[in-house]
Amino acid sequence: AAAGGLRRAGWRLWRGRAVVRCQHCPPVRALQASAALRRASDEHKKEPLTSSSQQHFDSPPAGHQPEQEPQGPHPSYTGQGGQESEDYESEEQLQHRILTAALEFVPEHGWTAEAIAEGAKTLGLSVAAAGMFHSDGSELILHFVSECNTKLSKLLEKEQKLVQLGEAEKKPIDEFLRDAVEARLRMLIPYIEKWPQALSILLLPRNIPSSLSLLTSMIDDIWHYAGDQSTDFNWYTRRAVLTGIYNTTELVMMQDSSPGFQDTWRFLGNRVADAMAMSNTASQVQSTGEAVVQGLMGAAVTVSN
Amino acid sequence: VYQVFENVAKKYDVMNDSMTLGIHRVWKDILVHKMNPCPGTLLLDVAGGTGDIAFRFINYVRSVRERQLQRKLKDHQNLSWQEIFESYQKDKFNSLGDSQVVVCDINREMLKVGKQKAQHLGYSEGLSWVLGNAEELPFDDDKFDVYTIAFGIRNVTRIDLALQEAYRVLKPGGRFLCLEFSHVSNPLLSRLYDLYSFQVIPVLGEVIAGDWRSYQYLVESIRQFPPQEELKAMIEDAGFFKVDYENLNSGIVAIHSGFKL
Repeated sequence: AAAGGLRRAGWRLWRGRAVVRCQHCPPVRALQASAALRRASDEHKKEPLTSSSQQHFDSPPAGHQPEQEPQGPHPSYTGQGGQESEDYESEEQLQHRILTAALEFVPEHGWTAEAIAEGAKTLGLSVAAAGMFHSDGSELILHFVSECNTKLSKLLEKEQKLVQLGEAEKKPIDEFLRDAVEARLRMLIPYIEKWPQALSILLLPRNIPSSLSLLTSMIDDIWHYAGDQSTDFNWYTRRAVLTGIYNTTELVMMQDSSPGFQDTWRFLGNRVADAMAMSNTASQVQSTGEAVVQGLMGAAVTVSN
Repeated sequence: VYQVFENVAKKYDVMNDSMTLGIHRVWKDILVHKMNPCPGTLLLDVAGGTGDIAFRFINYVRSVRERQLQRKLKDHQNLSWQEIFESYQKDKFNSLGDSQVVVCDINREMLKVGKQKAQHLGYSEGLSWVLGNAEELPFDDDKFDVYTIAFGIRNVTRIDLALQEAYRVLKPGGRFLCLEFSHVSNPLLSRLYDLYSFQVIPVLGEVIAGDWRSYQYLVESIRQFPPQEELKAMIEDAGFFKVDYENLNSGIVAIHSGFKL
């Protein structure tokens, strides 16, 4: 138990302390995965390791092999407090990396534990590591969706910066929405064959909270970058409308066989135009209603006189 | 411990069925389902003398492999006959997909019974039988994808040593699975269970296997075994991550799982 404690203590870096040399037990070989884990946990650390002649932790690319670790136990200046949170973070990081690696096997194996197992294999882990995730591949799909949403946010942010710097024109709302939804849906293209399977898994009761929250946060993002500042009921209607547009376009894309998904993009353009027209119509109806009321009031005044 | 199992080896399976009223098969099935092995997995089944887990593993992998092959054939609809024939040839001799089970037990008698069973049931490939002690496994480091120990770990004198050995022989990313009797949390069920264990099981032992004392020992060793949380802490101490347990039958047995990360 003491050896286990020391080993766990070896994961942790004290702020401002000199050297903490990681140690592992038995000390003979450098486990690729535990070194990877250490690398991943070190990515989180704020301070770089000082005076580590035995270890390379800077800029860890995926396939980088660390050198042989020092042998034997070393004194570490860490306490047991906060160990669990550090390890938990590292596990999450590792899971994240396994899922990312698994994505490239999805076209072949589908959104299954097999794809995750293949992904783990490419990272040098045993195929049994896929047991960390649910056997139906839900985590893989949720991971993919959240990665796509992150990519979309970054894209929209970049565009916004360009507009702010004056290097690009600010797009009208309908064009902005159309481009954002198209960009997001294009990320599905490499996995389009297995995507219907993914959609059905996302609809399982167990996954609905997560998938719904991912969807709403993405829609929120798009409207935020579109410049939506509303604080009234419009907030809800805008999001509901865009969610409807996104979902229907996604479904159309599933069974679209036109070259380059032209039909889908045309459908999308039509739906966005519909939405714009609808909002115009709504305001027109409102102003017409007001005009009618005013006319009636005038008539009533005239009649009373 | 050795003598206990020497005596019971031949009647082990029969006793298991009668003691647990056949539910032990379900427990072992659940264990293999939880493992969800894919073809190409290397399994080490420790204290798995009569091969129950090993046979289930082989069945599971075989069916997964069949589904894989069927799917590959479906995708290959446009191949020429020659190519299809070649792929059949290649895969026919690979019905297990390179999966392998090594059954390790400290007791020669149990291994003998296991080998006989394998022959009887027709399991020929992918099985190895090795004599070894769980506290000091005769294998190299980083060899196995999955390590299972079903109803064996309570018979190990130094559980921490066995866990450390498990950690050693597993590949990075490998999984540790332990199926064992554990503590029942529900008080009513616990009373019934105690009643059954102490009154019925030794009697069955005497009647079926002619051995009261071994089964008395069995029941007592179950009571002595650390409860779920304690075992979880021990597994974490050995260096495993994401350690978790699943109670079956509200605590009569529990499956502990950990990963070497």
